[in-house]
Amino acid sequence: MLKSRFEWTILLVMATLLGTAWIVFSQEDMRRVSAPKSLTEAPIVGHLAPDFTLETPVGESINLQEVLAANGAAGQPVVLNFWASWCGPCRVEMPNFQRASMRYNGRVAFLGINQGEDAPTITNFGNQFNLTYPLLVDQDSAVNRLYNVRGLPTTVFVDGDGVVREVVVGIISQAVLEDRIQGMLTE
Amino acid sequence: MYPTISLGPLSLPTAGIVYLLGAWLCLSVIERAAKKLDAPVEATYGAAVTALAAGAVGARLTFVFQYWPAFQENLLSIVWPLNNGFNVAGGLVIGGIAAFFYGRYKQLHWPQTLDALIPGIVLGLMVVSLADFLAGPGYGVLTRTPFGVSQFGIRRHAVQIYEIIVGGAALLVWWKMVGRRQYPGQLFLITSVVYAAGRLFTDYFRDNPWVTAGGYHIVQIISLGIVLAGIFLLGYFQETGKQELAEE
Repeated sequence: MLKSRFEWTILLVMATLLGTAWIVFSQEDMRRVSAPKSLTEAPIVGHLAPDFTLETPVGESINLQEVLAANGAAGQPVVLNFWASWCGPCRVEMPNFQRASMRYNGRVAFLGINQGEDAPTITNFGNQFNLTYPLLVDQDSAVNRLYNVRGLPTTVFVDGDGVVREVVVGIISQAVLEDRIQGMLTE
Repeated sequence: MYPTISLGPLSLPTAGIVYLLGAWLCLSVIERAAKKLDAPVEATYGAAVTALAAGAVGARLTFVFQYWPAFQENLLSIVWPLNNGFNVAGGLVIGGIAAFFYGRYKQLHWPQTLDALIPGIVLGLMVVSLADFLAGPGYGVLTRTPFGVSQFGIRRHAVQIYEIIVGGAALLVWWKMVGRRQYPGQLFLITSVVYAAGRLFTDYFRDNPWVTAGGYHIVQIISLGIVLAGIFLLGYFQETGKQELAEE
């Protein structure tokens, strides 16, 4: 152990100098921080959301990259909700997504990606809950596998740069949905 | 990364399980540390439980107040689902305040109590790093070094593992210093300085850091503050602390 005040003072000065130098050395290039990262596509936070193309029950083709680019250079955040008609918790949270899709219409896109069910089932489900945002058919669950969905419901928040911001497994409340959407919009 | 653990038909959130096990482990460590330091075990353990419980409830309530209009429509949603929707800063403040008042009520000697609490606090931070590594963003900057971890074909620094190693080093220092403690509070200060210095170093390798407007790592700035405050207090108490102990 150091004994005199002088030795402690020397240590304090050295820590200040070294620590400050290390912080300056670690400084991020703000262009790199704010720009889209050159990452691989992966269904985990901080990586680019894997691209996919799926159809709605009426045969309209929807591509993730095109949805992201809908607002021009700024990009449009997208909320991907993986669900199934037999999933009880999915039924609980569906009204939250519908409300949010109405509220953030034109600013945030919502895509409901079904797991393994056919088009008529999805249409009936959409009618039952009066859902107006696109519900997508993924009958062979290829996109579910692409996003490593292990439990339903799973919600993936993708920001305007196409980067996965958060993956929530389980029911998502209206408050949490608002919080995460506003976080993506204010960046 | 494993956001969920599958047990038969159940899909359990990895982070939640790690946090629960971590909380139990932290409390056990604090209890043992208090025994080792001859601190009042029950009161120290009580302070830790109070901080944890009040912190968890506080984090949720802060979030509820933040988004009250959304919860107002469905009051049941305040308590269910609980898989997300916590305000960490609110939890830390409320947990800290609750522990402080509990300590005053129990007339705890804070330097002694902090010496016993610090291994639990460091362990808690290690648990957060582990949960982050297993289920969260958990990735560092690109590397070609052999100790990087491969994620989707790209090798990256396992920054959360580095943080766990730093925590392990801080706990080792605490363990080695127990028998050589010169005054109450010294273990807390030394362990905090070692851990903060380690985090100051390892945050460089993080690829998704919190940064200030100028691009400086926020964790590094906080860590440097803790290191400097810790060194200053260690120097200050080197004489006064020992004198107080002699007077006692």
